[in-house]
Amino acid sequence: MNRFSQLGLDIVRLWGKYGNSYLLGVKNTLILALVGTLLGCLIGFLCGVLNTIPYTKNDPPLKRFFLCLIRVVIRVYVEIFRGTPMVLQAVFFYYGLPYFSNNSLRFSSVWAAAIIVVSINTGAYMAESVRGGIISVDPGQTEGAKAIGMTHVQTMTYVILPQALRNIMPQIGNNFIINVKDTSVMFIIGFPDFFAAHRAAVGASYLYFPSATVEMAGYLTMTLLASFLLRWIEKKMDGSSSYELVQVDSLTMTAGTYSFPDRSSPFDERNPEAVKSVQREALRRQIEREEALCQGQRAETRRDRGMTDRREADR
Amino acid sequence: MSETILQVNHLSKSFGSNLVLRDIDFTVDKGDVISIIGASGSGKSTLLRCINLLEMPSSGEILYHGRNILAHGSKPAQYRSHVGMVFQSFNLFNNMTVLENCIVGQQRVLKRGRAESEAHAMEFLERVGMAPYINARPRQISGGQKQRVAIARALAMGPEVLLFDEPTSALDPEMVGEVLQVMRRLAETGITMLVVTHEMAFARDVSHRVVYMSQGVICEQGTPDELFSHPKKPETIDFLARFRG
Repeated sequence: MNRFSQLGLDIVRLWGKYGNSYLLGVKNTLILALVGTLLGCLIGFLCGVLNTIPYTKNDPPLKRFFLCLIRVVIRVYVEIFRGTPMVLQAVFFYYGLPYFSNNSLRFSSVWAAAIIVVSINTGAYMAESVRGGIISVDPGQTEGAKAIGMTHVQTMTYVILPQALRNIMPQIGNNFIINVKDTSVMFIIGFPDFFAAHRAAVGASYLYFPSATVEMAGYLTMTLLASFLLRWIEKKMDGSSSYELVQVDSLTMTAGTYSFPDRSSPFDERNPEAVKSVQREALRRQIEREEALCQGQRAETRRDRGMTDRREADR
Repeated sequence: MSETILQVNHLSKSFGSNLVLRDIDFTVDKGDVISIIGASGSGKSTLLRCINLLEMPSSGEILYHGRNILAHGSKPAQYRSHVGMVFQSFNLFNNMTVLENCIVGQQRVLKRGRAESEAHAMEFLERVGMAPYINARPRQISGGQKQRVAIARALAMGPEVLLFDEPTSALDPEMVGEVLQVMRRLAETGITMLVVTHEMAFARDVSHRVVYMSQGVICEQGTPDELFSHPKKPETIDFLARFRG
């Protein structure tokens, strides 16, 4: 038990000394993960959309060649960035740029390098997710859009992508959560994220385990909040599960848009047989009403004035 | 003589080595209501989909007001906006409400304003009896209602020809009536319609011309009376006998 109280004390001590740097780390981690995921999604959508441009044998050869080329380039991009560790990609870019430009070019800030690496990496994963999302939308939707004369771009923008986006929301969420955690490898190029705060803190205090506990709790809180938020967004996207019926203005019936109801039904004004049945119905109702009235008058004689007055009013 | 809108010449379509349509010749005049009947797999739907370029014909030509729409440089999207289509599986846009479904084409394809599109959409939604449901989403309404919205969506584009691809085949029996009712009323307004259907009563009562297809060719065509009361070809007689039971 006293190990736990010791841990508590150590954490309090750590927090007192390095609390601000932990919080700054949290902030930087979240910003990097968020910006990286958003840019990554943009890249992913671009690749996914370019990847699914249809072409037929009737298209001009130049168009077919370009579409093929695009698919090959995207394929290579996806395979390279999905197939290498992000920590290496960070090193590769951060030190590669000055190496190749003989130090005349370098990343002015570690932020730029980190955001680029995370975005490109996320984009590689998202490219495949978006492609899957687009394919998973019922082909009937495309046909419906084409049938009213939409071009491929219009079909994509207004019909397919909104539905694909909804389908891959869980994937985007996944990527965001992965990015919250995996941006920790950016310490390799000196990015001041949450994990870098841990390294700084233990370097001075040697309180490895208490600091790791803080980190664990911190990352878990971030990811839990993120999944909660994503569920909420998904729910928002699905929209309301109910709808309101709209009362139609009865005057529109006279505006020439009203077509006569079913022939040979009692409501048909043109069908003499049906009209007769409506008239019969009306007559029957009138007789009933008169009978009820007679009964009412009979009752009237038996009851006091006030009661019948009220009933008259009711009627 | 009324104006010819569509003329199909020597149209063939094959999927791989499977020849689905063979040398189809066929015209649609303004105001025609044509029913295409035939057994499953006879190529009825493929013919309709070829006319709307959802399937690319393998050979032959389709003339729309005398212009071949299969020629290089013709714009399929523009052509399709003049030819409405109603699908067996409705194909309403799932990410939009009923009203938005009927507006999006007018706004994006015909470049109409929002207010104008809405007024137009409401007119047709009222005609098919779906005006109260404008805020519903496709997943919240029944099959028959979806199909009525799909008809309103096609009508809102002001098409010259309306193609129906088995519009009642995916519906529960009790919903078939409401859709057929809407189509009957449409036919009375004089719009040009091309209907692939298994509803023989509809084909007989409503259409001006009935086309019987069998194994990828037009086997027999004529007025409903000619085809249903005095069929000439043995295939047609066989096919119709199955419906008389």
